[in-house]
Amino acid sequence: MEVLEKLFNVALVVATIRTTAPILLVALGGSFTTRAGIFNIGLEGQMLVGAFFAVIGSIWTGSALIGVACGVAAALVFALVFALLVVTFRANEVVVGLALNILAGGMTISLMKAIFGTRGSIVGHGIVGLPKLTVPGARDLLGSYAPLVSGFTPLVYVAFLLVPLLVLFYRRTRLGLHIGVVGEKPDAAEAQGLSVTRIRYTASLLCGLLAGLAGAHMSLGYITMFTENMSSGRGFMAVAILIFSNGDPVRLLLGCLLFGFADALSLRLQTFGFPSYLVLTVPYVVALVALFLLAWKTRPKLVRETADSMRRLLSIRPASPER
Amino acid sequence: MDYAVELKRITKRFGSFTANESVDLAVRPGEIHAVVGENGAGKTTLMNVLFGLLQPDEGEILIDGKPTVLPGPTAAIAAGIGMVHQHFKLVPSLTVAENVFLGMEITKGGLIDHRAQRARTAELSRTFGLKVDPGERVGLLSVGIEQRIEILKVLARGARIIILDEPTAVLTPQESRELFETLRGFVAKGMTVIFISHHLEEVMEVSDTVTVLRLGKKIATRPTADLTKAELVQMMVGRAVSFDRRPREKSAGAPVLAVERLWARDERGLPAVRDVSFEVRAGEVVGIAGVAGNGQTELAEVLAGLRPESHGRFRLGDVDLTGRSPAAIRAAGLAHVPGDRMVRGVDRHASVAANILMTRQDRAPWSRRGLIDWSYVRHRAEELIGRFDIRTQGPDAPVKSLSGGNIQKVVVAREFSGDARFLLVDQPTRGVDIGAQEAIHDEIMRQRAEGRAILLISVQLDELIALADRILVMFNGRIMGALDAEGVSEDALGLLMAGIAPEAVSREAAA
Repeated sequence: MEVLEKLFNVALVVATIRTTAPILLVALGGSFTTRAGIFNIGLEGQMLVGAFFAVIGSIWTGSALIGVACGVAAALVFALVFALLVVTFRANEVVVGLALNILAGGMTISLMKAIFGTRGSIVGHGIVGLPKLTVPGARDLLGSYAPLVSGFTPLVYVAFLLVPLLVLFYRRTRLGLHIGVVGEKPDAAEAQGLSVTRIRYTASLLCGLLAGLAGAHMSLGYITMFTENMSSGRGFMAVAILIFSNGDPVRLLLGCLLFGFADALSLRLQTFGFPSYLVLTVPYVVALVALFLLAWKTRPKLVRETADSMRRLLSIRPASPER
Repeated sequence: MDYAVELKRITKRFGSFTANESVDLAVRPGEIHAVVGENGAGKTTLMNVLFGLLQPDEGEILIDGKPTVLPGPTAAIAAGIGMVHQHFKLVPSLTVAENVFLGMEITKGGLIDHRAQRARTAELSRTFGLKVDPGERVGLLSVGIEQRIEILKVLARGARIIILDEPTAVLTPQESRELFETLRGFVAKGMTVIFISHHLEEVMEVSDTVTVLRLGKKIATRPTADLTKAELVQMMVGRAVSFDRRPREKSAGAPVLAVERLWARDERGLPAVRDVSFEVRAGEVVGIAGVAGNGQTELAEVLAGLRPESHGRFRLGDVDLTGRSPAAIRAAGLAHVPGDRMVRGVDRHASVAANILMTRQDRAPWSRRGLIDWSYVRHRAEELIGRFDIRTQGPDAPVKSLSGGNIQKVVVAREFSGDARFLLVDQPTRGVDIGAQEAIHDEIMRQRAEGRAILLISVQLDELIALADRILVMFNGRIMGALDAEGVSEDALGLLMAGIAPEAVSREAAA
């Protein structure tokens, strides 16, 4: 009992919020492309270059803000290349996304070697991280619960505030509506004189913007460093959440919180002396189980039809005629 | 008086193919003008030119007497033209109002004003008598209502000239009647309606004027009242087409197909075929009539091996084929023209030649030692393209590039060019234009003369009366009666189709 109390407390909730933020940012970015009918597996790579160039920008200018801007700019370049290949040249989304992910991984490693002469990670070099924001009066009002709303880095607030904003965006703005229409029925958009190409480019760039922010948050948020492949599958997890949430911001939030919680829990468990290699699998196990349960409930037509036809094949003919 | 729309000497070419050749079309304001012609006559091309979707190579467009250039649909909409496409372009997850205002949303302070959109949709719906619920999601609605929404979209954009492309192809007869009333309401309000069709009854019923196109050229424009259906067909096809009973010699030989007390269930597990017994003899066409959904489809599927029977048996010659696979049944001498050509008739992505090959790819001379002899396949495909007059660019063209009628001819060509002794022909001319219909009928009669046994399933009574020797009528899974097709009346068939068995009809004839 005591162990549980130590495990599940305010600190765990705070940690959950913190670990949810990057995956939420990138998943919300992916909601633009998902809704526009583009399967964007390139989130991982966009996030990674965002993280890398945020660190570079921060070192060169000494400003965290310019660092974030550099990270976003790099992710936008990746998003633009993705859109160019997928929307304009109609290349396969999965192939292009994977290629860009591999490029992002290799590019950051070789640039690190070229600029810093090291492998593995960039630490120090005068990286300026993002400041923690204190909400005035939180301490007095909430007492020991104050860390729930105060003391996060700015992009955490951005991530969570974006959820209601995106709900409004998709329901009440023309661009939001049109992004959804382009994904669901491009013919309908074209018939009303809307440019499917323009809207898909816009969606892809908006996605790059948020993926870049997510990357910058990772390298300039709580830890101020860049390590090889530091996005460590968050972009892919976001893709997974996007698939079953269909790009709906509220459902995205719930999915991301689940992964964030698993992440935070595994970090806490490590401090309790559980073998770390087992504990580190927790988020991924949670991901698999959640995806399986959700996928089974809303299993696509293909799976359903296969199951049905198997059942038909195995069914035994009635022995007696009906009269 | 100015015309609402006047197209002068419109020519539109696609590569070496001329879809419209110097076509004139003059539509008076306040009339319903039908544009008719067979598939591929250039109707849709002409309408796409009028709606700005295609640019004519030659000719000019006058709207209300003024020469107009229509570089795109937006310009056409601005000129007061609206088009309701054959395939609806609605977004299922959005509401009726959202679909109506898609691309021209009413906004307030930068945000979409859903309430105003719903109110405006309700107002349009009342004004024009197109009943819809503005707040409902489109995905839940029937095809008839979807069409109303498409029409509302056009009205919301201020159209006075409305083009409808094959509007009744997807509607039930009741929905069609409602649509016609709506269209009459439009012209009563001074609007102009142009509608494309190849359905002659409705053209005769609803239009004021008819323009006939054939092979990309205008044949005539006439007031509908001055025309008979036969004259219209003559103009569309270019020759007289007879729907009369085909002359024949009595040729019933030995029994080929024997069905004994067959039962089968439908998808829900309910009996769909009940205690059906009949025979088809060599050189005989047996027709199966019935309102769609009375067990004909299930019967055909059982005979083709695509659905298990629950009781009873059937034989081809001496071979009992009950419960055998489609391949085994085909090997025993079945050829099958399925009711839905796109699902079971062809692989739309494969070439014409590959589709002609299918079902005999493992037999010489089509293949040798496990390898397909493509030069032979192509040679046979070319021969069949010629014999069946399949309009295609060649044996290597993908089937999906063909029109519906020509795809059906590919299926018929494959099935009728084997050595099957029994032909199971399900809805052979569904959605096929008149010229192709006649060609397929000719081919069925030729197969009969060659001594094949033919089971012809059709929902078109005139087709059955023209071709069959005997007609079995199915109702609720049973054979209600069998009639000699010689001298049978549609009324007599109609009674049986409705499940009313007159005493004069004896069940013995089924044997």
